[in-house]
Amino acid sequence: MELKIRKNGDVYIIDVNGEMDLYNSYKLKELVMKMLEKNVKVFIINLEQVDYIDSSGIGALIYICSTIKKMNLKLSIANIHGSVKKVIELTKLMGYFPISNSVEEALLMVKE
Amino acid sequence: MEQDEIKELRSDDNDPLFDKTNMLCKTFPSDFRQIRYFTLLIVQSAPNEIKELNLLEQQISEVIKNAVKHGNHCDINKKVIVWYSFSPTHAHLIVQDEGEGFKDLEKWNDFNRKRLECLHKQNFEELTNYVSFRTKQSDEQDGGNALFAALEYWNGGFVYNGKRNGVAMLKKFQQKRHGVYTDGE
Repeated sequence: MELKIRKNGDVYIIDVNGEMDLYNSYKLKELVMKMLEKNVKVFIINLEQVDYIDSSGIGALIYICSTIKKMNLKLSIANIHGSVKKVIELTKLMGYFPISNSVEEALLMVKE
Repeated sequence: MEQDEIKELRSDDNDPLFDKTNMLCKTFPSDFRQIRYFTLLIVQSAPNEIKELNLLEQQISEVIKNAVKHGNHCDINKKVIVWYSFSPTHAHLIVQDEGEGFKDLEKWNDFNRKRLECLHKQNFEELTNYVSFRTKQSDEQDGGNALFAALEYWNGGFVYNGKRNGVAMLKKFQQKRHGVYTDGE
């Protein structure tokens, strides 16, 4: 799994590329926690290039989402598709996550 | 909104899903690093039409992970045995470890009931407390959500044996014939 950060104004977009599984999902969690330490306040996690997620990956997203919610900061998760969407639907968490269909939509969501 | 159907984990040695007749079998050491590899060894014998979007692989991987990690505590000397049978209309597996068994099954059901209540009421604030099931053994890598998905995915049943160190599961697939879906067996 590869993580790349790009910036759009005050918004930090994390592009995730690869599989979010039991061996590497902690990396995303660690990255977001480091960014929080550096006072980043607005996040987009772009899952366009993620075709596989397991319970550890979902767990990482839950942890990130609940941490950011508790801190009253902003997050949108963009481009959930395929099996990632199916797994989130199976756990009934589609309504829990702040989801957007594209990075553009996510930018509008977090800038509200 | 209709009340969600409450699906529960249960344990029953006599459940027909524990009938191993005509099932293939593989035994693995409890090597955490190889969980996805072991899963692929099982899934490779499934017909392509049921490997939809890697979901079958993902769901089997979760059950093997539970056996390796929570059942056998990654003790390389302890084995995980997987019985399996696939067809275009079904995936049937039994996964057994050498551990003490899933002692928190009742706690899990209670937790899940509360989770479903939050979902039914669309109470996402309260739901935050019920998105991840934790036990004393849970670590940071545990998502605590695998069994929520398992109960939904394995639509033909997901049942533990009496000792709760083995779990049998069945997924029924619709078979596509000439563009028309028919019920699985």
